[in-house]
Amino acid sequence: MKLGIDIGGTFTDLVLLDEQSGKLQFGKTLTTYPDPTDGIIKGIQELIQNFELSLEDLDSIVHGTTLVTNAVIERKGAKTALITTAGFEDVLEIGRELRYDIYDISLRVPTPLVPRNLRVGVPERLDKTGQVLQALDTKAMKEIVGRLAEQEVDSIAVSFLHSFTNPAHEKRVGDYIAEHYPDIYCSLSSEIMPEIREYERTSATAMNAYVQPITDDYLKRLEKNIRNMGFDGIINIMISSGKLTTIEGARKTPIQLLESGPAGGTMASIFFGKLMDKPDLLAFDMGGTTAKASLVSQYEPEITNQFEAARVMRFKKGSGLPVRIPVIDMIEIGAGGGSIARVNHLGLLTVGPDSASSQPGPACYGRGGELPTVTDADLILGYLNEDYFLGGNMVLRRDLAEKAMEEHIARPLGISVEEAAMGIHRIVNENMANAARVHILEKGLDPRRYSMIAFGGAGPVHAFGVARLLGSPQMVIPLGAGVTSALGFLVSPIASERISSYVCRLEEMDWNRVNEMLERMEQEGLAFLERADIDLSTAKIERIADMRYAGQGHEITIRMPMGKLGPNSIPSIQERFLKEYELRYNRSLVDIGMETVTWRVIVSGPTPALNPQLAGKTGQRAAYKGTRKVLFESLGTKAIDCPVYDRYLLKAGDSFSGPAIIEETESTSIIGPNSQVRLDQYKNIVIDMQV
Amino acid sequence: MQVVEKKYDSITLSILWSRLISIVDEAGTTLQRTSFSTVTRESNDFAVVLMDSSGRSLAQSSISVPSFLGVLPMLTQALLKDYFPPKDWQEGDVVMTNDPWLCAGHKPDIGLVSPIFFQEKLIGFIGTIAHSPDMGGALWGAGARDLYEEGLMVPPTKLRIAGKPNQMLFNLIEANVRAPHQTLGDIRAQIAANDQGIKSLTQLLIENKMNEIDRLGEQIIDASEKAMREAIAEAPDGIYPYEYEADGDGKLEPVKFVATVKIQGDEIHIDYTGTSGPHSLGINAVLNYTYAYTAYPVKCTFSPSVPNNEGAFRPIKVTAPEGCLVNAQKPVPLGARNITGNMLHSVVFGALAQAVPDKVQADCGSACWCIVLNGMHDDGREFVEYFFLNGGYGARPDQDGVHVLSFPTNVANVPIEVLENDTPVLVTRKSLAPNSGGDGQYRGGLGQVFSIKHIGQKPINISILTEKTQTEAHGICGGENGARGSIEIIPERPLAPKGLDKFYPGEELIFTLPGGGGYGPKAKRDPALTIRDKALGYISE
Repeated sequence: MKLGIDIGGTFTDLVLLDEQSGKLQFGKTLTTYPDPTDGIIKGIQELIQNFELSLEDLDSIVHGTTLVTNAVIERKGAKTALITTAGFEDVLEIGRELRYDIYDISLRVPTPLVPRNLRVGVPERLDKTGQVLQALDTKAMKEIVGRLAEQEVDSIAVSFLHSFTNPAHEKRVGDYIAEHYPDIYCSLSSEIMPEIREYERTSATAMNAYVQPITDDYLKRLEKNIRNMGFDGIINIMISSGKLTTIEGARKTPIQLLESGPAGGTMASIFFGKLMDKPDLLAFDMGGTTAKASLVSQYEPEITNQFEAARVMRFKKGSGLPVRIPVIDMIEIGAGGGSIARVNHLGLLTVGPDSASSQPGPACYGRGGELPTVTDADLILGYLNEDYFLGGNMVLRRDLAEKAMEEHIARPLGISVEEAAMGIHRIVNENMANAARVHILEKGLDPRRYSMIAFGGAGPVHAFGVARLLGSPQMVIPLGAGVTSALGFLVSPIASERISSYVCRLEEMDWNRVNEMLERMEQEGLAFLERADIDLSTAKIERIADMRYAGQGHEITIRMPMGKLGPNSIPSIQERFLKEYELRYNRSLVDIGMETVTWRVIVSGPTPALNPQLAGKTGQRAAYKGTRKVLFESLGTKAIDCPVYDRYLLKAGDSFSGPAIIEETESTSIIGPNSQVRLDQYKNIVIDMQV
Repeated sequence: MQVVEKKYDSITLSILWSRLISIVDEAGTTLQRTSFSTVTRESNDFAVVLMDSSGRSLAQSSISVPSFLGVLPMLTQALLKDYFPPKDWQEGDVVMTNDPWLCAGHKPDIGLVSPIFFQEKLIGFIGTIAHSPDMGGALWGAGARDLYEEGLMVPPTKLRIAGKPNQMLFNLIEANVRAPHQTLGDIRAQIAANDQGIKSLTQLLIENKMNEIDRLGEQIIDASEKAMREAIAEAPDGIYPYEYEADGDGKLEPVKFVATVKIQGDEIHIDYTGTSGPHSLGINAVLNYTYAYTAYPVKCTFSPSVPNNEGAFRPIKVTAPEGCLVNAQKPVPLGARNITGNMLHSVVFGALAQAVPDKVQADCGSACWCIVLNGMHDDGREFVEYFFLNGGYGARPDQDGVHVLSFPTNVANVPIEVLENDTPVLVTRKSLAPNSGGDGQYRGGLGQVFSIKHIGQKPINISILTEKTQTEAHGICGGENGARGSIEIIPERPLAPKGLDKFYPGEELIFTLPGGGGYGPKAKRDPALTIRDKALGYISE
């Protein structure tokens, strides 16, 4: 059996899979502070008790955590120093010199993770080919490290210019620290991110150094506590690209753990896509404060290297610290259940991006929140059941929702409370659809090709409206929508990604160097899988190069041919490049040379097969719970009697037409008119969006 | 019988308005996606604007640099008035021009305007403006002697007539520019963006059972105008003059900006009478461009969140004597008019500080410095490399200025490792310039020191555009000026701060960028901030 554990801010989710029977069991427990491993242990114990299992039945555990993300946001990392090439100590602070907001003159930029007094230059210099122009001043280096040790730094990042072509100088610093100061952690840019562009590389290396001590500490404790329970199987860790790594891999490069939770959601969507033969999906996840969307094409997530951590303004691109690790490409907007609605200075109704979060929460929570939120609107429209929120564990106060709506929206705009609520619902859906449409167009793709798969607490409430606006043909609300990330952990393959930069035009390429580089990266990747107990005959090797037209500043990702490469590989590489370029930019140019910038080799184990148990077709009780008054935009201003179903009592093969409401503990599915609902053989809700 | 026109309710208005912005953003994405030039793609040097049937702007793409504020509606209104009255437009037309007086002040900026027809009626326009890779003439910079050396000028001409490309015009451009594939490719990308916008708008009209956009436009413009006017009305009425000296050529021909900002009720009028006359270097700005960079700081001050449309600009009036530096007339050269445009905020903020001191920022170490290197690698391959250097940001009423940040334009630096890969230079230093921020209650951001050494064997042609090596970023409300910048060459020899020169093997160029001005008297500075600044070496002991 396999266990997925996802630690979120409020809850720790657990998903247990019995690979033999295909049976899935879900568990939820409160996240514990300061040590989240307490909650994990408690969650495992509860799960074992509830389902009468024993630890011996458990073969592997996959874990994902927001620890690294939060450490960077809350600045709770270690005391970190940075050693650079002398004269370039400020590169980390200067960044790219760009403003992320054109009109906000009071904008703030992120404070560098390493303050200026802990950034020290050492004389050394390589040229662009990695040749030594100035030898590393060993004496100065030893003195600097000694002084930093005296200042009691916990961790040191080392980032020299052009170290991605020749790591020798960085390695000597690393070796010296390891030998003489074994208690100080050390991150070398040539190991963390051997890619051209000094600011981005230094930023990632500094961040790695910053979070390494606490992550190391946490993972050691986690491993110890789980082992102490008597578990002797495999422990893997979820990373941002939708893959898994080992504890060893996570301890060495903890920045890979950033954004691993959301990655789990996309991986779970891919899993459901496979069950339903849907290779192209738009995964839509809406929670309390944000909504996220990511694209899946041919069962593969879209990956980007343009990632930022700890944005000063959460929804402003460019306001964070860049980390060029592979992450699942996601858009995130400030539209969740807790997003606050207001009438702005233009007299317009706006929603978000600020949120009432869970404290005080939406007005209807009755915890002192006075401003109307998306959840309040959904309650007024009849989409949420005041007596069955979180499975009845929480009662929603409709009177308070109406009061907030009346005071802050309806009265100022001179409209009814219901009209105000419908306005909020529509605006949130529009915002999400607009953002998704631009995101999909940027990739040169057509939104109408993608079925939507919705999860998260508020996802199924809003997905129908968003899918309508995007022209999605179908919409799916999968089983276990409340623990999707943890489920995604169970269907992700273990993998290692190696990187080397080689900036060179195709026609000038030194192919021996390329082949040696690829061979080395493949061997390193295979060795990693071997240490993770993967049967190497099942390993999959992928080669990817970031390429561009010579002279352009932006690269696109191209899958490269396998086998030994040489001058006769050029036509095939050119063809791949042109095809991708045309897809993305709608045209290509043949008269300009192409060059590679960064090469990547991904070596992965097999994608776990998961065959969930088929749902039974017979049930004891009827799923139909009666009707309630609900407002739908397309059916005018009068509430209709809408049928309500209990998701847990619906059977595979059940079918009915919208409008309908399906309730479950973690969410409520709102299905509008002109649609057909059916439950597939796994009890996933599949909705055909008839036009 | 007169039809009483119903207004859109607040929610419908909100939804339709955000859809219009989404439509121009989608078109902007198309433009970025299909253009070749890195300027358009990475510096966001473009804008897409949707206009109503009389050329009033309803929505502008969110990502853009300030230089295009208000330009496309001015162009479209001029087209309707002087070139193509409504009856002369057909469905499928595209009108092109790069006339600097109609567009954005220099020839590389190309404007394309397409009519939008719905149910066979002309209901509006969509326009794009983008910085093209090349329009012929001398290499870009302040070096051209007059307008004619700056390349091809296309007066308003139909590039596509009722859906059919005007091949003659394409041929003419192709014959006149360097890298014609790229320039024509970018023009086609602009056409594609216009077409995408028309398609999305048509879809919106059908979905919402609308047959025109003027009524919607009216409401959008009125709401924005009202918000802008309310914000201006809160500022005290008065006449606020400001004078400002800039480098000019750094020697015999300095430049002076004089602005008189008049706030009266809910309107603001900026007049540049007293500003220097035409300049012999290509730093002259046409009035359209002056308007954009004058309206920009006004918008930042009063209503940063009001979407860009006609309404936001109606209460802002800008005038300048004909022929002066900021209202250039033919045939003065205009190539590097950004140097002038990038300093207008200094004058406007300086004047506004007298009226609304808590809403403005101190002067920045701008304009952005632009360096172009053109030469041969040792193996004979040619290279042309642009790179940009930014100074310190001005202090704000509640916080220090940011170190080394682009303002008012928004361009990134070129990574050191990329620069070294592309050219035979070695970067010898990139660091903050301590003590360069103007002192004050809040300190100006620091400038930077950036130095490069020529490690190749052949001389390199270098185009240099610097500013504030003879003048300083002003502090405001009692704050002190930032430090001036400098440009040095080793071994030492005379070097013009603006213009063309050679960079010889073995030479080292040291650029020190100016810091931002301070805000408020330094006596009021929190001692803790001074202690921090010393500890971090932002200021010396």
